[in-house]
Amino acid sequence: MRLVLYGDEYKLGVLKNGAVVDATAVANDIPHNTPQQLMSKLIADFDKYRSQLEQLSASGQGIPSDQARLRAPLPRPPRLVCMAGNYMENGTLSQPNPISAFNKSSSTIIGDGDVITIPASNARIYDHEAELAIIIGKTADRVSEENAYDYIFGYSNIVDVSHRGKTDDGNRHNFFNGKSPDTFGPLGPSIVTADEVADPQNLPVKLWVQGDLRQDYNTNDMGHSIKKTIAWISWITTLQPGDVVACGTNHRGLGPLQNGDKMEIEVANFGKLTNTVVDAQKRSWPRETRTQQQARQS
Amino acid sequence: MKLVLFGDDYKLGVLQGENVIDVSQITQDIRYFSPQEMMNIIIGNFDKYRSLIEAITSNGGGTPRSQLRLRAPLPEPPRLVCMAGNYMESGTRTEAGAISAFNKSSSSVIGDGDTVILPDAPATVFEHEAELGIVIGKKATQVKAADAFSHIFGYLNFVDVSCRGIGRPGADNFFIGKSWHTFGPMGPALVTSDEVAEPQNLPIRLWVQGELRQDYNTSDMAHKIPAMIEWVTSITTLEPGDVIACGTNHRGLGPLQDGDVMEIEIADFGKMTNSVTDSQKRVWVRETHAQKEEREAKEAAGR
Repeated sequence: MRLVLYGDEYKLGVLKNGAVVDATAVANDIPHNTPQQLMSKLIADFDKYRSQLEQLSASGQGIPSDQARLRAPLPRPPRLVCMAGNYMENGTLSQPNPISAFNKSSSTIIGDGDVITIPASNARIYDHEAELAIIIGKTADRVSEENAYDYIFGYSNIVDVSHRGKTDDGNRHNFFNGKSPDTFGPLGPSIVTADEVADPQNLPVKLWVQGDLRQDYNTNDMGHSIKKTIAWISWITTLQPGDVVACGTNHRGLGPLQNGDKMEIEVANFGKLTNTVVDAQKRSWPRETRTQQQARQS
Repeated sequence: MKLVLFGDDYKLGVLQGENVIDVSQITQDIRYFSPQEMMNIIIGNFDKYRSLIEAITSNGGGTPRSQLRLRAPLPEPPRLVCMAGNYMESGTRTEAGAISAFNKSSSSVIGDGDTVILPDAPATVFEHEAELGIVIGKKATQVKAADAFSHIFGYLNFVDVSCRGIGRPGADNFFIGKSWHTFGPMGPALVTSDEVAEPQNLPIRLWVQGELRQDYNTSDMAHKIPAMIEWVTSITTLEPGDVIACGTNHRGLGPLQDGDVMEIEIADFGKMTNSVTDSQKRVWVRETHAQKEEREAKEAAGR
């Protein structure tokens, strides 16, 4: 099942064959103040709501998804933990990097069709990092690797937009100012429930900029597996239903984002998430991936 | 006003001296789904709630604090941004370091009387970092330094418990260094900003086993509160109930170990006390960074 939020009121919907079927009837049974709370509670009690959602989806007509404004399916996850350097980089690493992560601010999250705003600074470059997002389904506190999948509710596309290098205040690069600027977390268009993803460790991840395929890698290249990632993060900090873990990216296909760019990401058949880029300073960089840059320079 | 949460159901109270006055009746009309959300709503609409609270507290009374379990006044702030290396270190630095921060997991927050649990991680040491916590009062995005204080709702004691020597060499290791369960003691109270005349001139003290370890003043801050709020909100939007921890003066940092009792107090915010457990019962030399430097210098001179 594919769960979405849509419209100005962040209505609950089910995505079916390119149409959004309204599921407000289910949302009405879930007391909430914010769309994030609605989704977190729906996820925590999904067994209770699944059949009702399936019935609505089977009987509803739906509106074409291009006529509904899809929102991020988790607009403000209380915890958004991103893995750092977690791929084998197509054989260019001989062994995995030591396992590492950072907390990305939930204020970064935007949805399908929203705009990535590049802030005023003289960062060296702004990169896209296409990633598999894991949606946590139940309280995960010191989970074992063998039980890790029990804690996964579903998956989504996420782009960990990142800036590199020095900023105008002389700050050294770090994960806070490098990763947490507002709009740097495109997520969506839907949450794909785990039952639809047979082998999460074998999913193609693709990202295009201006129609050019930039990133094209598979989750089988991950340095620390999903099981290990969930066990390690939950060893350190407790995750709750509706929290998100981003699995990290393969850096070979990273490249610059600049004013006017259209960026699209799709993991497997999750549906495309499309975002545009605005930069008031209209900076430009060579349109090439890291791999292309290396080939050119050598 | 010193706002607290207390008891199993995180009731709203006001700390007056050593007594807690139950003001939870003002929360009955608020629709909320967590104590944090209740606090966010009260903070975001404090103009409305202040007089309702004062109408109750003006009669005094209350229950001795020692008879209640105080909770963290913000049990799960949606954003908990901690400044890194943000002090002049009592004159041992000639210029401020580059402004820097990290996000600490909201799952780390614990309250007065709760236990800091040292994990079974191969860290070289676990340390206390006593810090001034700033509580955001209204939506803060792209705030200018001149407007910074108008976005502050109040202040609190915060300890950024930290572990060292772990993670990926040469990388930003703030996640594994800072976000552990129980590594964010906060409280006992949220002190409203009207009670803090000079936030840039507050003594901060932290004791371990009764010995004063950290004893510094927020006047030593490298990037002052207005610059800090401008910088953080130039990056990420903050909301009512979010927290910025201002960083620490590292001179007085020292190890935490099994059985320790740690206390922190900023100005007259009220003391927060936490104990420490470590199932591995690791032991470190009980000294601060400054004491260690002095000892090592003496040892070098005597050689």
